[in-house]
Amino acid sequence: MDGFRGVVVDVAHDRVDPATALEFVSDPGFGGFAMFVGRVRDLNQGRVVTGVSYDIFDELALVTFEEIARRAQVQFGPRVRIYVAHAKGRLNVGDVAVVVAAGTPHRGEAFGACRQLIEGVKHGSPIWKQEHYQDGSSEWSEGCSLCETQHEDVGVRPHAGHAHG
Amino acid sequence: MKIEVSLFGAFRDFEPDALVALEIPAASRVSDLRRALSAHGSAHWVGFKQGLMERSAFASATCILRDHEPLPEGERIVVLPPVGGG
Repeated sequence: MDGFRGVVVDVAHDRVDPATALEFVSDPGFGGFAMFVGRVRDLNQGRVVTGVSYDIFDELALVTFEEIARRAQVQFGPRVRIYVAHAKGRLNVGDVAVVVAAGTPHRGEAFGACRQLIEGVKHGSPIWKQEHYQDGSSEWSEGCSLCETQHEDVGVRPHAGHAHG
Repeated sequence: MKIEVSLFGAFRDFEPDALVALEIPAASRVSDLRRALSAHGSAHWVGFKQGLMERSAFASATCILRDHEPLPEGERIVVLPPVGGG
């Protein structure tokens, strides 16, 4: 798909790089760029977090990223350039977990596309987060069920009545 | 027929190699696999809760599989607990 790159980054070998995202979505005809960068934070629901492990079904995640991007191009125009990268493996506090970026001629489409992309990645992609706490315990985060929808394809879905950061 | 299901997320805690083999009738649908995996979990997995199974989807490498659909032959099948990236 033109103007799109989706990546699952194994943190054992590489890292998610916002500069790479900005470079990919750049174009001489574009004046608007929006990027979301998600980093591991040190506190969640009152518990001190020391790290997060991300589990990803790579093959389906890449299909899903492309579908999310296709929808964004349908909504915000075929010229929109899109980059999606998500980390896989164990991350420490402050590490970059996800980057989505959109480049467009004007700012409105860039903001809209970026928001739509990150919601799709968080709520509709086969990615799981296990938080590790200061007391040595770990828990899988509550998430969105992919079977609680009538949609027949992958992509952006409403989340299913649970809290998100 | 024998079918192997790959496990992700919270399901990984139940099987060290993240894979479970089940015997189900030929020409089964996704709903049949759901019942078989649920029964397997209840019988073998300490701490397994039906609520997790009820909120989990099944998928191939390219798409989500709905309960009414026949199981695709020769493809990797995975069970997807509720997702939450970012």
